[in-house]
Amino acid sequence: MTDSAYTVVVAKDLADLVPTFMNNRKKELETLRTALAALDFEQLRQLGHRMKGVGNSYGFSRVSDLGKSIEDGAHSGDRAVLDAAIVDYAEYLARVNVVYE
Amino acid sequence: MSDLAAVQHEIGALSEFRVLVVDDDQDMANFLAHMLRKEGMEADVAAEGGAARERVMASPPDLVMLDVQMPGLSGFEVCRRLKADPSTALIPVVLITALDDSESRVRGIEAGADDFLSKPVSREELLARVKTLRRLHETRRELEQRRLATEIERKETIHKAFSRYISPGLAERIIHDLGAEDGPFQANAQRIEVVALFTDLRGFTRITERSEVGNVVEMLNEYFAFLTEATYQRHGTIFNMAGDSLLIGFNVPLPQKDAPARALQCAQEMVLRFAPIGRQWERRFGVATGVGIGICMGEAIIGNIGSPHYMSYTIIGNPVNTAARLMQLAAANEVLVCGEFFQAIRDLVPEQDVRARGDVALRGRSEPTPVFCVAGPGSEV
Repeated sequence: MTDSAYTVVVAKDLADLVPTFMNNRKKELETLRTALAALDFEQLRQLGHRMKGVGNSYGFSRVSDLGKSIEDGAHSGDRAVLDAAIVDYAEYLARVNVVYE
Repeated sequence: MSDLAAVQHEIGALSEFRVLVVDDDQDMANFLAHMLRKEGMEADVAAEGGAARERVMASPPDLVMLDVQMPGLSGFEVCRRLKADPSTALIPVVLITALDDSESRVRGIEAGADDFLSKPVSREELLARVKTLRRLHETRRELEQRRLATEIERKETIHKAFSRYISPGLAERIIHDLGAEDGPFQANAQRIEVVALFTDLRGFTRITERSEVGNVVEMLNEYFAFLTEATYQRHGTIFNMAGDSLLIGFNVPLPQKDAPARALQCAQEMVLRFAPIGRQWERRFGVATGVGIGICMGEAIIGNIGSPHYMSYTIIGNPVNTAARLMQLAAANEVLVCGEFFQAIRDLVPEQDVRARGDVALRGRSEPTPVFCVAGPGSEV
């Protein structure tokens, strides 16, 4: 992915909420890893479902897309898909750049 | 603040709109609350269904936004419970579901949800839906408040009109029972134990012959003013006012355990308070006057009696007839009572104030009636 793919434009009025949002995503990443290690597909499905709902609401469409992959992967029990999605998520969170407009 | 003013004040405060956002996802709850606050609404947040229900019961919001997937009570269950409770059923509920989750929408409709919002939430859709529900809710509330205001206004008008004719307490009771099928004024006539008190003015015919019409009316008003005041102080019910006589009932329509004592005190008050007026009238018109009072108790029929065109809420029966006869028999400032009433109040009257009149044959009664004078000329009332 190009650098621009990691740039997210967020409405200025959400600026106060975004730091908490980002912190929660980082905690979520750890929970995803733990759930995958435990092969807890139900928790993975729920976490993916939550990411799918909340990401786009804030303007983070990539979070929603990865959430859908995790939800679908958990549903089918596809560990490879889950593994790849969580690695992508980790990279995305490490590189994401928020621009307020 | 009067009831009407309070309702009008509430109508004026319609601009306040409180939303309870219920979502276990802190970020989603914060996002929704933030958007609503930006639009000038109040937004509270609850993280799970049980807490949301408690919050609604403690302080009902104007709108509830519920995520369907929550640990513990699901959004569907919270919605179903809110809609099943009459005190919260009218609060609009918006369920927040996944965009492609048609099954959740069907379940939401079954649970009574008013609208749905899809995740991811578009701020335009969120605000459009909330504004529509807000308008609907405010219109419904305004209509309800206006209906209440009209109802209160109507009752206040009735109260003002009725209070000129019956005791304020009785007027209050009639208004309270308006529309109630089992109210005392809706029921068919019934037999109940009553104390009937009749009073009229001795020598009044001669006064009317010697006075101008205007003076007669003025005197009658003065006379009835203190009679009704004495009646209402003891919570009696005036059933009839004709000429210079008055029929008053106790223990009716509402039970009064001490009805005989109330009737006695009422009669004593009337005699006592009329004395100076009587002396004044005697000086002016040269005619001795005074109130004559008869009291009897027993079972009587009470109810709305009359025709579809004219009804009268009244009491009829032996105690009323006997009280009328005793009143006719009573001299000025004398209170005559039947035996049954005397037994009920004998401990309240000093022995020296009681004079037994023996068994008296009253018109309309097949057997003689024991009659007692409990207040009269020379009595210390």
